[in-house]
Amino acid sequence: MTPNHRFPRAPYALLALGVILLLLGSYLGLFVAPPEHFMGDVQRIMYVHVPTAWNALLAMTFALVCAIAFLFRGDFRWDARMEAAIEVGVLLAFLLCCQGAIWAKPTWGVWWDWDPRLTTTAVLLFAFIGILALRRFVDDPVRRATWSAVATIIAYADVPIVYYSVTWWNSLHQLQSSPATVSKSFHLPLRMNAFAILFLMTGFIMLRARLASLRLEHELAPPPHELDAVGELA
Amino acid sequence: MNGTITGGWGFVWSAYGLTAFFLTAYAVSLFVRLRNERSR
Repeated sequence: MTPNHRFPRAPYALLALGVILLLLGSYLGLFVAPPEHFMGDVQRIMYVHVPTAWNALLAMTFALVCAIAFLFRGDFRWDARMEAAIEVGVLLAFLLCCQGAIWAKPTWGVWWDWDPRLTTTAVLLFAFIGILALRRFVDDPVRRATWSAVATIIAYADVPIVYYSVTWWNSLHQLQSSPATVSKSFHLPLRMNAFAILFLMTGFIMLRARLASLRLEHELAPPPHELDAVGELA
Repeated sequence: MNGTITGGWGFVWSAYGLTAFFLTAYAVSLFVRLRNERSR
């Protein structure tokens, strides 16, 4: 039994809370917050783009924690959580790249540029997609969990590079946005959407970990003909 | 010209619409996969 089975409704409550907060935060970001001085209304993409970025990196950080916990403890519940965190992290990183491209076109004049922030984010996305692919091709659960835990630790090295890329190198991308670096009038929708996506991410990871645990249970269960043989012996 | 980008609501709606679409699609896929796995 995975820990979140003790609270079977918790992920659904988190998802509901996340949806409500995302609707409220997006309403504030789209219709109440003032337009930014230089970027005008296009800057409103920030209220969904920045929270997606924070939570994508957070999901991958949780995957790293799960990978280390699995290697030390050998408990498959950590493997299930790692698989869940990677899948949700990939979803958020993919969304991050799409939102970024949509924001880049009116501000930079191009959909994509091979600048350090964008390139390292693309590397991160494909590295974690690679880990999900690796899990598909390995049948043995112990090898699958061990190899993907090691791969997660290696791929995670890109996360701090993504975060600091805008300060380490000359980048088209602006510096990290946070309540400390943006106008006070942008804080509320930014924080609301950050918590909204955090709740959605947590709910998704809990449900996806349940799915991974169920799959493992079915995978490790003896085939039906062996159960019949045991019944005959008894 | 004053250096401010004017318009651009199409880009804003695209970003929000795409986010809503993929989050909803992922939630649906998760519920379907969980239901299928439970009924195995």
